[in-house]
Amino acid sequence: MGMFRIEEADRPHIVRLLIIWVILSAIGIVAVLLINYPPYDQTVQGQDQASTLRLLTVLATPVFIGVVMMTVYSAIYFRRTTTELVDGPPALGNTPVQIAWVAISAILVLFLAVVGIATLSSENVAQAVGQPGRAIGQSGGQTGSATSSSGGPELQVQVIAQQWYFTYRYADYGGVETTHLYLPVDRPVELHVTSLDIIHSFWAYQLGVKADANPGVDNIFHVTPQKTGSFQVRCAELCGLWHGHMADSSGQVVSQSDFDTWIAQQQTDFDTIAKAVPSYAPFYFPEPKLKAG
Amino acid sequence: MIRRISFVAAGVVIVVIAMVAFVGLFMLRQPGQLEGTTTKLHLETVAALSDAVEWPRPNDPHPDWVGYLPTTTWHVPANSTIEVQIDQEDGASGLRNPFWGKAFGIEGGTMHVKYFDDQGNPQEGDMSSIDPTMAAHTFAIPDLGVFVPLLGVGDNAAPGTQNIITFSFKTKGPGVYRWQCFVPCAAGTLFGNGGPMSTMGYMGGTLIVT
Repeated sequence: MGMFRIEEADRPHIVRLLIIWVILSAIGIVAVLLINYPPYDQTVQGQDQASTLRLLTVLATPVFIGVVMMTVYSAIYFRRTTTELVDGPPALGNTPVQIAWVAISAILVLFLAVVGIATLSSENVAQAVGQPGRAIGQSGGQTGSATSSSGGPELQVQVIAQQWYFTYRYADYGGVETTHLYLPVDRPVELHVTSLDIIHSFWAYQLGVKADANPGVDNIFHVTPQKTGSFQVRCAELCGLWHGHMADSSGQVVSQSDFDTWIAQQQTDFDTIAKAVPSYAPFYFPEPKLKAG
Repeated sequence: MIRRISFVAAGVVIVVIAMVAFVGLFMLRQPGQLEGTTTKLHLETVAALSDAVEWPRPNDPHPDWVGYLPTTTWHVPANSTIEVQIDQEDGASGLRNPFWGKAFGIEGGTMHVKYFDDQGNPQEGDMSSIDPTMAAHTFAIPDLGVFVPLLGVGDNAAPGTQNIITFSFKTKGPGVYRWQCFVPCAAGTLFGNGGPMSTMGYMGGTLIVT
């Protein structure tokens, strides 16, 4: 066990560092716990992501403080004091230190792996891996979805990206298409994200959803709003001239009764163009590919 | 001594009055309601810039591109009604998303369209939507919720025929708003969205509201 002994000269430094590290880490953890983490709590999924972010930040804080503290401490206590160039003592390995950093790193990484796997397999995840969602047009709450067991039948909404705007179709309301996204509170929603032309990305920040929108692809995400209020939708994939303007701040989470009123008005408006709009489908292909000159 | 105190007191009073005046005059001042005005916007849409009737652009590097004329940067006043007339000279190429065949965000919900029917006879009427396959372009300012489909000139119409589309919409506060066409009308480009659809000055631009 002799190799685990700490040199007498190093003990004051270690004690000093430990005291500083514990105090600063405690302060740092309290501080990061006070932060309100994005994407906040407008949806169950968003709240879940915020909780994960909080956990990661709490775990990272002592590590970050330790690294910064060692750097600053070394610069102060072990700096070169003379102008003479002299090699430092050779570093031949330190078993306790090596065991410590390997063990601590392994524990942290394995713990995060367990948290990650648990999160991915939870009911609240926005994109349920291996769970396809129900078929387009199928009535709510019957199959497949990750969240269909809570809060009533899932509302099926198709997100259609095109250069340079998002529109939305509500399968459960006759395929009505709208220019803004409204969602009822406390009702699980199944988002089917697709594109009419090139690759876009549907990013509803406050909802905790960021989904690729590809032509010919039905990309399914789940979200359950739990607070009323507005949210922003923007494109997160560089998609051409007006990509920077492909945004809409008019997204709303509203009560079920307000949603019913709104969707009824949308259906009335939609009637004038309904016959010309194609049937609701899982996805669409951009046609024509090349406009004739 | 009293004189000095008096000077200090007077100085303090002056400073306080100045601060109150500053707060009252500037910090608490609410901008008045802007007087609504009506502004006209007269535009021309063409299949090729070289075919422009009203506002030729002879030195344009892309004379065969579609475009809005005379300019794609429009200056309009805030909180006002903008009366738009578009002399639409291009043929129909159809909307990729037929939903945009409906007009949104315009006064009264309808546009007035003068056009020529399949037999080449002049017609006119108020429309809230058009056949999406007959759209030549759209006039769309998404941030204002304005989407207006522009009826394409029929195949049987005489050369040089124009469809005259008029409508009005309201502006909001000052700002720079983008506008664009939603018809993939860029001939010869992938998905019809390259060239003039992806270059400022043709099928997209800015509405500058002041």
